[in-house]
Amino acid sequence: MSVTTELQDFILDEIAPGRAITVIDPDDDLLSRGIIDSLGVTQLLEFLRDRYGIVVAPADLVPGNFRNVRAIEAFVHARQGGPVC
Amino acid sequence: MTAVLPLRAAPPVTLDGLLDRAAATVPAGAAVACGPRRLSWSELHARTGALAAGLVTRGIEPGDAVALLAADGPQFVLGLLAIARAGAVAVPLNPAFKRPELEFCVREAGARAVLTEDSGRGVDAARELQAPATIALADVLAAGGDAPSSPAPPDAPAAFTYSAGATGRPKRVPRTHRQLAAEAGAFAAATALGPADRLFCTLPLHHAYGFGCCLLAALRSGATLVFAEEQGPLALDRDRVLALIERSEATVFPAVPFALRVLAEAPGAADLSRLRLVFSAGTLLPRATFAAFTDAFGVPPRQLYGCTEAGVVTVNLDPDARATAGSVGVPVAGVEVSVLGPSGEPVEPGRHGEIAIRSDAMTRGYAGVPDEVNHEAFPDGAFRTGDRGRLDEAGRLWITGRRKRLIDVSGEKVDPVEVEDVLAVHPRVREVVVVGAASGVQGEEVVKAVVVADGACGERELVRFCRERLADYKAPRSVEFRDAIPRGSAGEVLRKYLV
Repeated sequence: MSVTTELQDFILDEIAPGRAITVIDPDDDLLSRGIIDSLGVTQLLEFLRDRYGIVVAPADLVPGNFRNVRAIEAFVHARQGGPVC
Repeated sequence: MTAVLPLRAAPPVTLDGLLDRAAATVPAGAAVACGPRRLSWSELHARTGALAAGLVTRGIEPGDAVALLAADGPQFVLGLLAIARAGAVAVPLNPAFKRPELEFCVREAGARAVLTEDSGRGVDAARELQAPATIALADVLAAGGDAPSSPAPPDAPAAFTYSAGATGRPKRVPRTHRQLAAEAGAFAAATALGPADRLFCTLPLHHAYGFGCCLLAALRSGATLVFAEEQGPLALDRDRVLALIERSEATVFPAVPFALRVLAEAPGAADLSRLRLVFSAGTLLPRATFAAFTDAFGVPPRQLYGCTEAGVVTVNLDPDARATAGSVGVPVAGVEVSVLGPSGEPVEPGRHGEIAIRSDAMTRGYAGVPDEVNHEAFPDGAFRTGDRGRLDEAGRLWITGRRKRLIDVSGEKVDPVEVEDVLAVHPRVREVVVVGAASGVQGEEVVKAVVVADGACGERELVRFCRERLADYKAPRSVEFRDAIPRGSAGEVLRKYLV
């Protein structure tokens, strides 16, 4: 399963229940749509740690790294040194 | 020369009156600033009139409840004031609420319509509601019209808000124009707010803290409400928020301890020297957060205490901020605070007990509840907060605990009974108790469910079940499965063995 699919599934299953959202496009703005709020950030950071072994540094806690699934995937790849399949 | 609102002249006692006065006294002063957008008090006054006219045209009558679903910003301010100008009762709702929560509030309040912003989370939330009528703010404004000429009387309800109360369902809190105006006046006077002040708003305006200390405070004083144009998670936005506080030359910043901690931990620097007051409320301010914020920015956060039922109750403006950092301060004008012993008698300074409030700004009771609920909460006209504390010799209030079992999650209060009620209907849950568990950060908790399952049942399934029905902050972060809930000899749940 690709990182994109894993992130989409995680956001749909764990962060967005009850919000009438059935599809997350890789380019959907997760922040301006309110899909990821403060609690969602915490969940996502835990997911990145547990699934990919990435501990996000304070300097990396910026909107650009979490704006959409594509950005999060790029961040994962950058921290892991390459695509994860 | 800076304009000064005539605070000493008989102040208006309706939201309408306060808006009229601000528009007359500081017409060109900014009422709302949000990114490049700026709305003066006279512009806000005119738009409020037009929106109110549109509401009346759509059948809204004096006394009707109108739910307001809008993100925190200019449209929330406009919507709330227009509902008031139409003589209706505003029901500000949390756009993060899930459909069952929104439906409960709309139905319970008897809302005739739901007023929504043009786009954003409030619209998404409103779409899920099938009834009653949804009115888009932009549509009404586009139609134009003259303001209604029959202002609400001072003792008519101006707002219905909802209070978490360890009873399973939020309780409706009606407050009149006069009560809201009293809160606004007392807070503005205590903090010497004026038109030159710029209030930086990150608080939810549907919540009593943001409603009173931002919206009402600005309305009473002619100050400017400053909003971030794009409102994302603070953990990601902290550098941008700090830059905006600096750039906007904000003078007052009401916040919750979670926000103060996150900002204090930001790697970047910011010059917040224009801030003359930083407030902390929602939950007790940990000493470490007080120290970190003060050290980072040179401005000590001041605690204040309030509640949905009475608005702002006390404010700490003590000259020695560091020595009194743990206190929530002294009562604002028109408020009496007493600490009661086990029999309901006031105790001496220094003694601990339950905090009770009498206030000009306080509701006279919950609506839509059995009489005994109000008899218990408001005996003799004083509100029993359920919080515990003590008064010192100088009259300062120190909070020492909460009697009600509410869980503090990042400044939001979660009623464990409400979460238990949701989980209890899951077919695999035989028994459930919800508690607040340590989050790893002092003063912050997470919601934890302890479940006795009836057959195979997973943690993710139960968390998801809650998140479909409750705002995200109310859903458990963890579920612990046990064979039995520990109970005492009288059958009471032994919560200390569950956290």
